Amino acid sequence: MSITRRVFLRNSALAAVGTASVPSFLTRAAFGAAEGGLRNKRLVVIFQRGAADGLNIVVPHAEPQYYAMRPSINIPLQSVLDLNGFFGLHPSLSAFQPLWQQRHLAIVHAAGSPDTTRSHFDAQDFMETGTPGVKSTEDGWLNRTLRNLPSTSVQNAAFRAIALGPSLPRILSGTEPAVAMNNINDFSIGGRNPRPSPVASAFEAMYDHSSDTVLHGTGEETFDAVKMLKAADPGKYNPAPGANYPKGRFGDSLRQLAQLIKANLGVQVAFADIGGWDHHVNEGATEGQLANVLSDFSLSIAAFWTDLGSLGEDTVVITMSEFGRTARENGNRGTDHGHANVMFVLGGPVRGGKVYGHWPGLDQSQLYEGRDLALTTDFRQVIGEAVARHLGNKNLAEVFPGFDNQPEKFLRLLG
Amino acid sequence: MQSSPVRPSSLRPRFFTASLEKPALFLLALTLACAVPQLLAKKNQPANGTTAVNEEKRAVHALNRLAYGPKPGDVQQVMAMGVDRWIDLQLHPEKISDDALAARLAPFRTLRMSTREIAEEFPDNQIIKQVMDGKRSMPSEPARHAVYQVQIARLEEKREERQERKAEAAPAPQSAPDSMTSAPDAAMVSNSGGGDSNGAKTAEVLAAEAAARPDAMPATAADNNLAVPANASNGETMPAASSNSDSDMSTSAQPKAKPSPQDAAEARSREDRLYADLKVQSLMDLPPDQRYKKVMAMSTDEQLAFADALRGGKGQDFLAGLEPKQKETLQAMNNPQSVVHDELVQAKLLRAIYSDRQLEEVMTDFWFNHFNVFVGKGADRLYLTNYEQEVIRPRALGTFEDLLVATAKSPAMLFYLDNWLSVGPNSMQALGIPSRPYGPYGPYGPRRFPNPNAKRKQQSGLNENYGRELMELHTLSVNGGYSQRDVTEVAKVFTGWTIDKPNEGGGFQFDPRRHEPGPKFVLGHRIKPKGEEEGMEVLHMLATSPQTAHFISLKLAQRFVSDDPPPALVDRMAKTFEKKKGDIREVLSTLFHSAEFWDESAYRAKVKTPFEFVASAVRATGADVDDARPLQNQLNKMGMPLYGAQPPTGYSMKSDAWVNSSALLNRMNFALALTSGKIRGVKIDVAQLAGSAPVADTPTVLTTLEAKLLASDVSKQTHDSIVAQTESPPRSDQQKPDPNTASEKMTPQQATAPPKPADAARPADTSMIAGLLLGSPEFQRR
Repeated sequence: MSITRRVFLRNSALAAVGTASVPSFLTRAAFGAAEGGLRNKRLVVIFQRGAADGLNIVVPHAEPQYYAMRPSINIPLQSVLDLNGFFGLHPSLSAFQPLWQQRHLAIVHAAGSPDTTRSHFDAQDFMETGTPGVKSTEDGWLNRTLRNLPSTSVQNAAFRAIALGPSLPRILSGTEPAVAMNNINDFSIGGRNPRPSPVASAFEAMYDHSSDTVLHGTGEETFDAVKMLKAADPGKYNPAPGANYPKGRFGDSLRQLAQLIKANLGVQVAFADIGGWDHHVNEGATEGQLANVLSDFSLSIAAFWTDLGSLGEDTVVITMSEFGRTARENGNRGTDHGHANVMFVLGGPVRGGKVYGHWPGLDQSQLYEGRDLALTTDFRQVIGEAVARHLGNKNLAEVFPGFDNQPEKFLRLLG
Repeated sequence: MQSSPVRPSSLRPRFFTASLEKPALFLLALTLACAVPQLLAKKNQPANGTTAVNEEKRAVHALNRLAYGPKPGDVQQVMAMGVDRWIDLQLHPEKISDDALAARLAPFRTLRMSTREIAEEFPDNQIIKQVMDGKRSMPSEPARHAVYQVQIARLEEKREERQERKAEAAPAPQSAPDSMTSAPDAAMVSNSGGGDSNGAKTAEVLAAEAAARPDAMPATAADNNLAVPANASNGETMPAASSNSDSDMSTSAQPKAKPSPQDAAEARSREDRLYADLKVQSLMDLPPDQRYKKVMAMSTDEQLAFADALRGGKGQDFLAGLEPKQKETLQAMNNPQSVVHDELVQAKLLRAIYSDRQLEEVMTDFWFNHFNVFVGKGADRLYLTNYEQEVIRPRALGTFEDLLVATAKSPAMLFYLDNWLSVGPNSMQALGIPSRPYGPYGPYGPRRFPNPNAKRKQQSGLNENYGRELMELHTLSVNGGYSQRDVTEVAKVFTGWTIDKPNEGGGFQFDPRRHEPGPKFVLGHRIKPKGEEEGMEVLHMLATSPQTAHFISLKLAQRFVSDDPPPALVDRMAKTFEKKKGDIREVLSTLFHSAEFWDESAYRAKVKTPFEFVASAVRATGADVDDARPLQNQLNKMGMPLYGAQPPTGYSMKSDAWVNSSALLNRMNFALALTSGKIRGVKIDVAQLAGSAPVADTPTVLTTLEAKLLASDVSKQTHDSIVAQTESPPRSDQQKPDPNTASEKMTPQQATAPPKPADAARPADTSMIAGLLLGSPEFQRR
């Protein structure tokens, strides 16, 4: 047991940025947090791009149809990490077991976007805009979430919304400033010198005063963020003991995200994605392609959780994927595009150790269009609960326009 | 991203009141002030005071859209020829000689090889394993022989390591750490160039690559049938070589302490590396040919260690002066596949920068992206070279249907979208009919092809991947009015369209045994059973659909006009598309002669993609690119590795995908690095660009560079910011105590300090000014 549900006074915040010549806004932030007046709640969204195979991730091993429909790619009973006698985790998710046992990790099965498209592109778009079926939505729901959110005491909002990756994803695009970051150490101008370089100020002046509406805003956000990051000195970072991030892009993303959160830069929403789930061919079972990407996925998230330490108390992590995959395996020992999927919800306030949602069954008559897991929980219900009850943004009609997101319908995942 | 809230600072009005020094500035002010749409210049406009300027602007606009931006002197040349004539010439690339480019591409032998030759000369692990297992003969040609030997040694080494590790490992529930550590060996991106390609990309490439290589999978089938997973039995048959195995689930996933044999092996390899490093040093002084001979005379083990020592910048020095083939051989010892990928990437960059057939390159890039294939997917690394050279480029200005058919039959696409594996559920193969059944299988019926792959016998299902993307991304578009049923039916139509031995670079073949019998119903049409011809019928149907005409026209207008092009223009282009039977040249001609293309609102309306930015920056500076791989590394950082778009959508052409903090910083840093000569392999002479006057003052240099790099069309903000920067006292950053400066205890990294205007102020200033201009908001647009 590494994480307990104790509440800490996070006076480590100051230590993270160093004591000498700390910019005033940072000290304010640190004290604000320590005073406990405005706890900095945060939501981390992880997108599994490519349509993850939920049925082989959280396996309905007590479902007789499951083994019949997947003769060569099923997870044998003795390999499944049983959760509750009906569902079990893929063996590559063993890093999730302790989180489940500590009741920090909850699962929602048969969840996802109600739109019936089986196009990766459209389905991802819909899950990021938060308006399934509506293509004209310009901004992402995670950006809209910030709009009515009481901001933290960190006045400079450069790091309120962070995407790890080379480009700003749809989910974070919109009117609220958001920053995309591929590598923290490259996030500066003119090298890693801790001092602002003179050319940086020339660029800053150019972009700050530019009449270019597209580039001006991004430029301004960028330079704000560069300054804050330099002040927080992210150059040297050692994750907490036991937080062993696997090598690779996803592990790097979460490590850097933990770093930003621990530097107390006021991160409220964050986004990271992990690709490699589209297994039309030779998906594998206990070993193979899915197994490999799953261990990268789970080891990274588990390391992130360990790394956050007490900050995990104020953090909720939600995973999602654009749609599930066919209940039956195809002729290439893989699976094709399907419908409902599984979501993980991890965090301090999460009432974990439980599979939420309604299981629709895998009988032929129960399958969606006779081929896919049917959908019983809209992803917006899951996220809506986190946005409203965890982040404190009650204006769900704005975050998910056109979706009836009454609190009575929440799954009550959060305690 | 969408428009951000307007900050107070930008509300301050900044009109150009006093300093209208330059006509270009005046023009820009006009642009901003004018809400009325306005043509850049009318073709037959009577001469007046501004015609010359307008003609220059037209030339700049044309070069920004039909080309990767102007090179020094291009604007004048285009003006001299006449913008319309130049456009017409670009539409007929066959009339443009491209000898200078040909010379630059000459060293890249893989560009002229067939895929089979590439597979043979730059073998992947499959082929090496076949040689090891005696299923394939060892090549006798000395260079190739050496490459094979080194790869065999490498694989054997890896095998040993794995066995050692297995023997040491506690019974683990999964083998993820194994696959993670062996990953970099297969990476081709990681080996290319100056070694600063990020691990992130590598991991992604690998993931997809693993996803795509069916044969690389552990054979779990038999195990699964017995319901005993391989790993479990491993755990049981090898009980506790390690007494410290506390084999509970949560700890087993943690990295284990390294067993001693591995330490020994590591020490050994460290020694080898050291030795190899010394060897590189000692050979460096020899003439190139001698160097090569010495390496070829080494033992295989020596070569293996030596090849490792060649990675990175030192390797580039060592390879300098060698014959192309010698270079390739030494690089192939390191990683055969990286040779193919490197040459492909270098060629793309060099073509974009130096080809005189600029529109052809732009269109090749456009179609490649439209019919995207990802280099990281298994055998596609072999196929891409030919895919671009033989399938895309020759048809870039041809007819759409021809292009569509060529991509559909290309092994690159068949592999990428899995169609080569698709088998009709009621096909002969699925039903296990051994040979020559009588049955109505069309004109192709009884022909029988040798089964290229034993594994295929196990495959018996339909794969919808190609069928879906064909309609969604290649032709009708996502709103094109097809259903899931259509997707399935199209997938049936294309069963049997497969590849003969993809691992060896085989070509397209139609395999009637895999073809789904019976009629199909696609978009309300009944497709009669006729084998391969069914696919041709569907492709014809899709290529001539009005939906397709509209979708392709829209995408072209997005590439050449603006992210949201005027619908009327798209409609006119679509009409041309239909009337001229998908003739791409005609559609482009409609586009280039439209009022919308020349409208003032289209000028600099597009934000450059990272690729367009990098290519245009190198062009603008007139730099000489000796090695383009470092440029590829820059593109990786900006999120646009060439040939590295994993999803079939390809890369976005719209600004919101590319305007973000991280990418913007990387652009500015690239601009500074390029102009200060810090990009390896790219020679640049900024001083010459700034004019030869030896004692030029800063304002003159700035004016000259503004003219050269941005056609003098620079905003007052950008201009003033640079002036302020050049006027600020040198070393100001050292003196001014900045409130944001963090404490002293951090390690000061001086590595890449910005160019300082020291005592010899002029040259440093020049490169900084050029860097600031290339990093300015104006240069991010085209």
